[in-house]
Amino acid sequence: MAVLSSRYEDMSLHVLPESCIANVLSFTCPRDACRLSMVCSLFKSAEESDVVWERFLPLDYQSIISKSDASSMLLASASSKKHLYLMLCEKPLIIEGGKKSFSLEKKSGKRCYMLSARDLTIVWGDTPPYWRWNSDPSSRFGEVAELISVCWLEIRGKINATMLSPATLYTAYLVFRPTGGVYGLDYHPVEVRVGLVGSESGKRNVYLDSESGCKQQYHFVRRHTRIFNRGRIVGMPASEPARESDGHYPKKRGDGWLEIELGDFFCKEGEDGELEMSVQEVKSGNWKGGLIVEGIEIRPKEGK
Amino acid sequence: MSSSAENPTLTAEITKPSTEIATETAQSAKKITLKTSDDQIFEVEESVAMEFATVKSFFEDAPSSTDTVPLPNVPAKPFSQVIEFCKEQIKFKANPDETEKKRSNSEFVKEKTNEDLVEMIPVANYLEIKDLLDVLNQAVADRIQNRSVEYVRSFFGIDNDFTSEEEALLREEHAWAFEDVDED
Repeated sequence: MAVLSSRYEDMSLHVLPESCIANVLSFTCPRDACRLSMVCSLFKSAEESDVVWERFLPLDYQSIISKSDASSMLLASASSKKHLYLMLCEKPLIIEGGKKSFSLEKKSGKRCYMLSARDLTIVWGDTPPYWRWNSDPSSRFGEVAELISVCWLEIRGKINATMLSPATLYTAYLVFRPTGGVYGLDYHPVEVRVGLVGSESGKRNVYLDSESGCKQQYHFVRRHTRIFNRGRIVGMPASEPARESDGHYPKKRGDGWLEIELGDFFCKEGEDGELEMSVQEVKSGNWKGGLIVEGIEIRPKEGK
Repeated sequence: MSSSAENPTLTAEITKPSTEIATETAQSAKKITLKTSDDQIFEVEESVAMEFATVKSFFEDAPSSTDTVPLPNVPAKPFSQVIEFCKEQIKFKANPDETEKKRSNSEFVKEKTNEDLVEMIPVANYLEIKDLLDVLNQAVADRIQNRSVEYVRSFFGIDNDFTSEEEALLREEHAWAFEDVDED
């Protein structure tokens, strides 16, 4: 009896012990836990504990991190599991010898990946007059692919669905930037698709060229007046706002690159198929060029 | 307070179907007497009491003890609810049915007030009832999901002990976590 009582004597009746609060918080999500650290100092201290953040990190985070050359540096500089979590949210970790980057979506802790251009299949990619490989200081990767000029534009990326967070709706994006001389991509949409290999999934048409804000303003007008003389449109005021939000035009990213939605994919619990994302424009027969491709990013759909 | 722990019909249900615990059947009539922090006496089926890891290890240390077991950190009100949960749980030990167990667990928490849940957590923690702790933690997490700091303070009955400067700093540091929070 003495054993029973003495072990827990310090526990008061009405205030939850810190370990209990930490346990409760570990059942919430990163966003709730961070906000609730403001409840009181006991909550703050509970929220900072490894018990909480160990559960918010992916189960196999250690094996993911071990795929990076920077793994030991990362683990050494992380003062706690929360710190490690935040580092993985803020700075993508380059893994698999520079072929991919891995990061966490801050609010949910879900996995995000970017496949570098080198990890993609780019038709004609290794043929110098068509594509060129450059290093780019603004890229997270060592190399980016510059589209000089092709008739047949085809880019494909694959990722195993087991690498993604289960029960999560993802969106894939092509991450790119126009060079000064983008051409051939303003009137002709490119066909994009996201889906499991071997499955039927919808294709969409999107536009890659929105080089400047000014040009983007005219997109809507231009596409609907393309039977007319192109010269007439240049000075025309924008009568309708650019439809930036419907996913048919590129959006500016926080890191300075542009991205265009390729499509959504719901990763079911236990899904082990291979997910394929593609961008192609092979129908018009036109030449096009002037893009720099950084890669394809796949991350949880915003607002989900 | 009369203990709600004994229920003859329930006892029959628990002990009958399982061959695995057949050897224990003879003992399962045995009752264990537990005393809460507010001096309430509970007589509980041994099979139910063995769900409390803390009590179980007490009897492992002293198998022949017939003493009343004091539970100095356990008030009667949450304890009777904990017993209610454990009685349901041992049914599933004899007849594992995950779907039914989930349904029963969610039924259990659904009818509990916020205060009930918060009071049961330290009891489940002290008695080391892992299944119940998981159920309670999940239930509380669901109820405070996307809620404001002020709401959660009143949920747990906790006073803010930060200065307004500290609070402002924390809010700034975690600004991303304060967007689109549900209204109280």
